[in-house]
Amino acid sequence: MKKNYQERVENIIRKYPDARSAVLPVMQLIQKESGNNLSASGIDEAARTVGMSRSGIFGIATYYTMFNTRPVGAYHLQVDTCVPGFLHGADGIVKHLSEKLGIAVGETTKDGMFTLSTVQDLASCATGPVIQVNDRYFENMTVEKADKLIESLKKGKEPENDTSMNVVSECGILLNDRTKKDCRTIGFYKKNGGYRALKKALAMKPADIVNEVKEAGIRGRGGAGFPAGMKWSFLPQDDPRPVYLICNADEGEPGTFKDRQIMEFNPHLLIEGIAISAHAIQAAKSFIYIRGEFSWIADILETAIEEAKKDGCLSHTEIVVHRGGGSYVCGDETAQIESLEGKRGNPRVKPPFPANFGLYGCPTVVNNVETLSNVPYVITHGAEAYKKIGVTNNTGPKIFGVSGHVNRPGVYEYPLGTKLKVILDAAGGVKGKLKGVIVGGLSVPILTPAEANDLSLDYDSCQKAGTALGSGGIMVINDTVSIPELALRTIEFYQHESCGQCVPCREGSLVIMKKLKNLVDGRGTKEDIDLVLHLCANIRGLTLCPTGEAFSMPIQAMVAKYRPEFEALVK
Amino acid sequence: MGKTFIIDDREIAFDGSKTVLQIARENDIYIPSLCYHPKLGPASKCRVCVVEVEGIRALQTACTLMPKEGMKVNTSSERVIDARRMVVNLLLANGNHNCLSCEVNGACELQEAAYRLGIEIPAFVVEEREERDESGVFIMRDPGKCIQCGRCIEGCNRLVVNEVLDFGYRGGHTKVICDGDLPMGQSSCVQCGECVQLCPVGALIEKKGMGKARTWETKKVRTTCPYCGVGCQLELHVKGDQIIRVTGVEDAQPNQGHLCVKGRFGYDFIYSKDRLTTPLIREKDGFREAGWDEALDLVAGKFKQIIKESGPDAIAGVSCARSINEDSYNMQKLFRGVIGTNNIDHCART
Repeated sequence: MKKNYQERVENIIRKYPDARSAVLPVMQLIQKESGNNLSASGIDEAARTVGMSRSGIFGIATYYTMFNTRPVGAYHLQVDTCVPGFLHGADGIVKHLSEKLGIAVGETTKDGMFTLSTVQDLASCATGPVIQVNDRYFENMTVEKADKLIESLKKGKEPENDTSMNVVSECGILLNDRTKKDCRTIGFYKKNGGYRALKKALAMKPADIVNEVKEAGIRGRGGAGFPAGMKWSFLPQDDPRPVYLICNADEGEPGTFKDRQIMEFNPHLLIEGIAISAHAIQAAKSFIYIRGEFSWIADILETAIEEAKKDGCLSHTEIVVHRGGGSYVCGDETAQIESLEGKRGNPRVKPPFPANFGLYGCPTVVNNVETLSNVPYVITHGAEAYKKIGVTNNTGPKIFGVSGHVNRPGVYEYPLGTKLKVILDAAGGVKGKLKGVIVGGLSVPILTPAEANDLSLDYDSCQKAGTALGSGGIMVINDTVSIPELALRTIEFYQHESCGQCVPCREGSLVIMKKLKNLVDGRGTKEDIDLVLHLCANIRGLTLCPTGEAFSMPIQAMVAKYRPEFEALVK
Repeated sequence: MGKTFIIDDREIAFDGSKTVLQIARENDIYIPSLCYHPKLGPASKCRVCVVEVEGIRALQTACTLMPKEGMKVNTSSERVIDARRMVVNLLLANGNHNCLSCEVNGACELQEAAYRLGIEIPAFVVEEREERDESGVFIMRDPGKCIQCGRCIEGCNRLVVNEVLDFGYRGGHTKVICDGDLPMGQSSCVQCGECVQLCPVGALIEKKGMGKARTWETKKVRTTCPYCGVGCQLELHVKGDQIIRVTGVEDAQPNQGHLCVKGRFGYDFIYSKDRLTTPLIREKDGFREAGWDEALDLVAGKFKQIIKESGPDAIAGVSCARSINEDSYNMQKLFRGVIGTNNIDHCART
């Protein structure tokens, strides 16, 4: 352990009202200082530092995927094989690396240099296939590029990452000009009108800001589409407890990679949004809970926060960037609160709701990155102007991420209510013949070409069409894809990510996965198909958190809408 | 009658302090539950206690549901039974839920739920789980029977605060771990057995009683633990003359079901051939058996003689830690008031 370890630990602990919240960052620090491994002595060190039991720390270390309790090589190569990766050919990369390095998935080369793993969703959907090497991403991979990467790593050098993809901003509100070198700086942001909304907001009464946001009708961009202003107004009035604002940056819904576009290239927009919102709900402390895999983006945010602080923008609220440990479920607001309190990311039983009993038992608001990034526009231009963007009850700009079989995968900022066709055209059109499209991230039901034909991308229209707009992560699937294989890939994700707390999710996802695997392997029966449908129907609404719905609904839709493909697998 | 609500067409009064599950149990209405334990409170994880509430779309867990005036709860609609049946079937699908030789056959809450729901053969079987862990001195762990309800973990951390058990891993791989996933015998576990008592299934078993009696063959005898002055209330599970297992009495003071390793597992001494059954008087090189009157007369006579020859301070008394406070009080009274010395101590004084 390096010399200044104690000092660094103390600095971490100081950021939090409760030392236990430091458990993830402390474990991350110990792992980093110990050659990317968290050994038994590292576990003990963490336990001593935060005052927890050994089993408690081990339980946390093995809940989150980013802790290596078993040794890994100097370079841990993790290929994202979740649905978007699958559509972009990640399996070919895995196969190639396995042959090249002479190891199977899960193994380490004899010289201890490389460990090869597959990983579930890295939020690089349009830039897939992606390989995560320790804490860095290498996107837009091809077999040739993978070879170059390995050769370069063997020489101890990390090559440049190719992040290229199509970026279109019709609205020009959330996405900025990322081709400008200084696009992340406060200077660039202010030159383009940044932080004027904050200045205006700080002169307003908090209640007036809440009303303006309510009037604007910003719906939560994380997936649920719940009105943000209404969420704020659930906070108890005249309560002596501190209020916390948590910005949910745990972007992990497969097909979704929109929040990172804001955070990585336009960080000050988010910081201004948080600063205004914190004033509106009177939160003296705000957290950005960012998924741990986005470590370089977390660094960008910390740099931007420092800039904003120096500029005097954050005198009324402190913003702490908190890195997660690798868990999809921590995108659920109560699981995120648990995780931020230094526990396994198990969702809480509701009620009580976070507005009344959230972080440390205090009133808490959890808002998505994109949601908060909409706030400055509302303050600057007013609710009326904001409502002119989009359609009734579905207002404002939305970043759609398009991945899969289109000619130009990328991000597209368009008003809510834009036709799917318009977005797909902007993305260069479908590659090959369209078989289905998932419009709101992996947890929403797939649409057939006929169902998707005239779809408008807003919350209400998508609901009417029997799906959901969710996060706006659009995955396009052409006729080269087997839907049973897609269904298996889908359930593998949820089975891997289930927190394991409640039975229908933990065991149900496992049974569905086994049955779909049997079908795909040609060992299934017609009864297996019916059983999968039966389980989906019963699991829906029965789980402790929405994860049960997140897999039962899409699997049900895939089986029901493409049933002949499943039946064709039965011998 | 104050506020009332309806469970299965029965109007039942409530005061707002209890959940629907608690009220149903008090009124002999069967709702299965696997993760709830009165001592630990609701966990809402097993989802088997779900009920249907008129006007609410999703099924509700009875362990967390608070009644409201006029609420109509249905505990046995087709939808409820379907959901419960699926949950129990899912639990049976994984692991090794074979009742034939299971120690808790007849006392297993999962078996009871399966029986009540008419599940004869599990609907789907997918996988075997891990090997048993027999490394603990007194406790055997069988992960194949574990349903991850978390009662043992709550008991270990919140009730006895030994902080040995926790959940490790995630999703379908979730399991109960000791310390850093060590075999129990190599962990910091002190084998108090709180976890065994809280386990609703046969995943945590007292090794000493294995293979000796089915649950329905034992007679339960309530008694007080003889080990120390706390006076923990025990239930001996006895077959013939043999103790098969010992459990703490859940609703009794002072221990509310808790026991230490000695009270729960240290009962073999009662069978010892070396156990004293009469007073013994030392004579020459050995002991001879004697009656109580003779022995007490001898002790009293010797005390009197010592006091006469050397004064009362030549005598000292040490009270035993097994004695209760009242006995220790009387002991010091005897020494100070009758014998006349302050030389009195207690073996547990440190």
